[in-house]
Amino acid sequence: MIITKKALPRRALLRGMGASLALPLLDAMLPSMTALAASPAKPVRRLGYVYIPMGAHIKDWTPPGSDLRQLSPILKSLAPVIDNCTVLSNMELRNAYPGTHATSNAAFLSAATAKWTESTDYHLATTADQVAAQQIGQGTRLPSLELSMDLLTTVGQCDNGYACVYQNNLSWSTPTTPLPAEAHPRIAFERLFGDGGTAKDRQSELRKDASLLDWMSEDIARLQRKLGPGDRNKMEQYLDTVREVERRIQKAEKATSESKLPDLDRPVGVPASYGDHAKLMFDLQVLALQGDVTRVITFQLARETSTRTYPEIGVSDPHHPLTHNGGDPEKLSRVAKINAYHVSLFAYFLERLKATPDGDGTLLDHSIYLYGSGMGNPDKHDHVNLPILVAGGLAGTKAGGRHIRYDKPTPLANLHLTLLDRVGARLDSFADSNGKISELTI
Amino acid sequence: MLRVVAFFPALLLAQQPVINQYCVGCHNGTSKAAGLALDTAKADDTATWEKVLRRVRGRTMPPVGLPRPKESDYQNLVATLETKLDAGKVDPGRTDTFRRLNRTEYQNAIRDLLAVDVDVTGLLPSDDASHGFDNVTVGNLSPTLLERYLGAARKISRLAIGIPPKQVGGETVMLPPDLTQEEHFEDLPLGTRGGTVVKYTFPQDAEYEIQIRLQRDRNEHVEGLRGTHVVDLMLDGERIQAFTAKPPTQGQDHSVVDREFNVRIRVSAGPHVIAAAFPKQSATLLETERQPYQAHFNMDRHPRITPAVFSVTVNGPYAVKGPGDTPSRRAIFVCKSEDDACAKKILSGLTRRAYRRPSTEADLTVPLKFYREARKTEGFEAGIEMGLRAVLVSPEFLFRVEQDPVGAAPKSVYRITDLELASRLSFFLWSSIPDEELLAAAVRGDLHQPTVLQKQVKRMLADQRSRMLVTNFADQWLYLRNLASITPDMRAFPDFDDNLRQAFRKETHLFLESVMREDRSVLDLLRADYSFLNERLAKHYGVPNIYGSRFRKVTFGPETMRGGLLRHGSILTVTSYATRTSPVIRGKWILDNILGVPPPPPPPNVPALEEAKAAMKKMTMRERLSEHRKNPACSGCHKLMDPPGFSLENFDAVGRWRQAEEGTAVDSSGGLPDGAKFSGVAGLEKALLTRPELFATTITEKLLTYSLGRGVEFTDAPAVRQIVRQSQKSYFRFSSFIQGIAGSPSFQFRRAQ
Repeated sequence: MIITKKALPRRALLRGMGASLALPLLDAMLPSMTALAASPAKPVRRLGYVYIPMGAHIKDWTPPGSDLRQLSPILKSLAPVIDNCTVLSNMELRNAYPGTHATSNAAFLSAATAKWTESTDYHLATTADQVAAQQIGQGTRLPSLELSMDLLTTVGQCDNGYACVYQNNLSWSTPTTPLPAEAHPRIAFERLFGDGGTAKDRQSELRKDASLLDWMSEDIARLQRKLGPGDRNKMEQYLDTVREVERRIQKAEKATSESKLPDLDRPVGVPASYGDHAKLMFDLQVLALQGDVTRVITFQLARETSTRTYPEIGVSDPHHPLTHNGGDPEKLSRVAKINAYHVSLFAYFLERLKATPDGDGTLLDHSIYLYGSGMGNPDKHDHVNLPILVAGGLAGTKAGGRHIRYDKPTPLANLHLTLLDRVGARLDSFADSNGKISELTI
Repeated sequence: MLRVVAFFPALLLAQQPVINQYCVGCHNGTSKAAGLALDTAKADDTATWEKVLRRVRGRTMPPVGLPRPKESDYQNLVATLETKLDAGKVDPGRTDTFRRLNRTEYQNAIRDLLAVDVDVTGLLPSDDASHGFDNVTVGNLSPTLLERYLGAARKISRLAIGIPPKQVGGETVMLPPDLTQEEHFEDLPLGTRGGTVVKYTFPQDAEYEIQIRLQRDRNEHVEGLRGTHVVDLMLDGERIQAFTAKPPTQGQDHSVVDREFNVRIRVSAGPHVIAAAFPKQSATLLETERQPYQAHFNMDRHPRITPAVFSVTVNGPYAVKGPGDTPSRRAIFVCKSEDDACAKKILSGLTRRAYRRPSTEADLTVPLKFYREARKTEGFEAGIEMGLRAVLVSPEFLFRVEQDPVGAAPKSVYRITDLELASRLSFFLWSSIPDEELLAAAVRGDLHQPTVLQKQVKRMLADQRSRMLVTNFADQWLYLRNLASITPDMRAFPDFDDNLRQAFRKETHLFLESVMREDRSVLDLLRADYSFLNERLAKHYGVPNIYGSRFRKVTFGPETMRGGLLRHGSILTVTSYATRTSPVIRGKWILDNILGVPPPPPPPNVPALEEAKAAMKKMTMRERLSEHRKNPACSGCHKLMDPPGFSLENFDAVGRWRQAEEGTAVDSSGGLPDGAKFSGVAGLEKALLTRPELFATTITEKLLTYSLGRGVEFTDAPAVRQIVRQSQKSYFRFSSFIQGIAGSPSFQFRRAQ
């Protein structure tokens, strides 16, 4: 037997990274941290999104009161960070209909209707995170970071007439450009911190990349002249991509020359257990935010129609069929267990953000994360009463720890609009929004 | 309903009574079932009539339970529609102008271009699938992807040329945690058990440290450690070191057990095979009171009896001597003079292969510029490395470009160039770039001539690289790719381990390959009386007298429930849930991938079975689904999907044969949408083979989708029928499909924008 898949458990990465994960050292080695500390009056805003597939057992998700002093079973693990959380009930995504898994994922950040196609003419809308990236992402090396958990591509599971791009990609920089997410910790690490090595090596490599990109744009331009008008548009998109990467490399070069970044060891592989893998991906987000490598992150904690089993919490049934349960209370309780497990991983992340000093407060104070699903009741494939949770620096405006419960279904786009507003991207409307979440505005 | 006459040409007119009697009741301007109004459909509405033909040919209409035409009427209707539709104008469709090489194609292209094996899964993100294949939606180039291409080009060009890394690196290969290592593995020396084989390309002639770690349980104890165990470390089949594992003494923890399991050794640059395995000890006592499972990897339920390898790590290079003599260097450095003329020769050869066309002066300008710049400071080889890197990030390498000829009238149909045809062929048959022979034929300009084309296709099919039709095409067509992500519930299926998962995959691969290499009829995929087994799989299937890890062809008597694809553990497992079988998934799989009549997607707002019926719990799967079919919103499709799935109920969720489920005898009676009724897998196969052209059509459509990288449209239907008719003459031989596609207008022509 031959095995080519490379992997190492998470603990090996942490060992490998050695003390570099310890906070004081990181504080010293990441240049932007000093920049931040020097200007505590203007804390950096960071915006993140975590997606969970197939909604939640909403009865066990919804907190009983109007505050979070009493937590619902699924949200229990949020207790240590409850002051930084707000739960919103009765949010809806009208544009996700007809009810499918593909549109749940696609509409979550776009609130838009996915064009029903399996071919290359797929079309959605620019997603909220990318609107934010245009506003607050241009100052950092990566305008945004897209992460996911599913390394294996499956076939035959997203063919309901919708191209797999809808189900796999949360983040779209234009209506026709889905941004692939990375599930491999090492590759994600390299995007954030490069190949490692000494600053001099890294810089000389970056320079080579920059000149290769120059040549790419020339080459594309050469091709473009030979093509018909329809195909020239495509070339224009490629040129934009080249320019974007050029910009990133310039930033990276600058950061490398200014930094005293020590040699960083890369994580080698993918932890075998889901929980360890997810925590590692959350750890990378902490590093990315802390180092100000990016300010906008999306993270798909599992894919729609995922048939993942969760033996570590005693759920050996695959997730997707378990959600088609006809209201069977036993199965619902197992769905709730999975939902609670996902929330506990998010809670781990929030606690790490809270433990990381940043400027005049903590990283959690200067970040906002939206956690939730584009599906409400997965048994019905509907898109109302979505499980939605906002966490982070709600402080500074109005305190967290609240449960906002709408009588009438309210567009999730209202929340997107509000959060974008909070990071300085002021739009009049977003998708089907009809207002802002007044409770969250200043 | 007489309106219909006005629109029907003479040919269809003869069929009008049948259509009126059996179709128009639902598919009329008022009811418009499935959006079809056959009373007002125009005769030249090809899309509609192709839809009708597909349903009528598959006998999926009228729905089961409603009055149906006589078989002879069916045949007449099919023949009439085919004649009418085949007489239309040929539309070859339009493949996208830009198609990025996907990850598999990129990896193969690098192998064929530079003679270096690179695991690209660690360098590039995976590709999204559409129409069932991951080479369809490949038009996009996101910044992330471009960054990855830059990184991949850097790593690959350095490795291929042998530029010494600036720092010592390490790579670790970890074995799956659910791999049982008690028995011999096929690629390891006889007399050993467990372990692994790693193909590794050493970057330099240098010293490397190779390290082995043993599997631990969650208490960090080395598993199966009951006495003294020896681990052999081998390089290219030679033992280079034997390590001894002993239980730690009192007061020591288990970290000491394999702490010293590393060796520093000088290795020449290039590909080598590292292996680690345990010499087999004669009497291994089975220290378990439970049922003697074959799976041993779980500390509580069926623990390892002996230690197992967890990972193999290679660190290096240390004490570097030089780049050595490697296949990749031999492929790249075709001249020795280390001057500009030699550089030009090297780079023009690389651009020709990489860009899949004769190389021009303009192609060389930039790679040569990079070469000269790097040469100034770092020398000749570094110069070539930068030139190569420029080639590897060129859009002409990363993208397959098909351009309309200058001055082509809009929507006009034109023959693609021979060079474009060469790339279509090589990416179809090899998932890689053309080789020199194919390229030369294209350059000569005679590749499109039928005799030349057929000869090339034959040659390419015989080449080892055509194995991609199994491991890339069929893996996606049959969903074998999903095996990797399937882990059946450990309580329900305690004997499932990675060994079985690998054996499943290997059986189906060998089986498909036998049909391809021996050029058998594709109908053998459904009716073969043979397959490929090793001991592990034979035990799982209950086939006696197969011993050892080696896979071999086994021919079965009629009493053995194995043979064709529908009896393979791989397919039966990927169409099941972790805890149980799913007749729905299996049935849908058959409709999608064998019959080619995919059921429509579930309707929006699927009504849920709101009230949990207490009684439902006690029902069998069959009863529960029958409850589900009572709901009219569900029954339309479930009436089609469930019955074929039921006929496979004798196979459990991991493909074992069963007569009873939880004490109840298995009821494997099933049916097909054409109204056929039968029982069990044999009945299903027989029913599927009554109209073999349906399966042949499905294979053709799947191959066509894969070969063109686009969805098959109704406009392709005449070409598909032509290929199937041709194949029928050779009793559906595998090669007739490949030749048919290569010769079809869809493959050789393109519609201008």
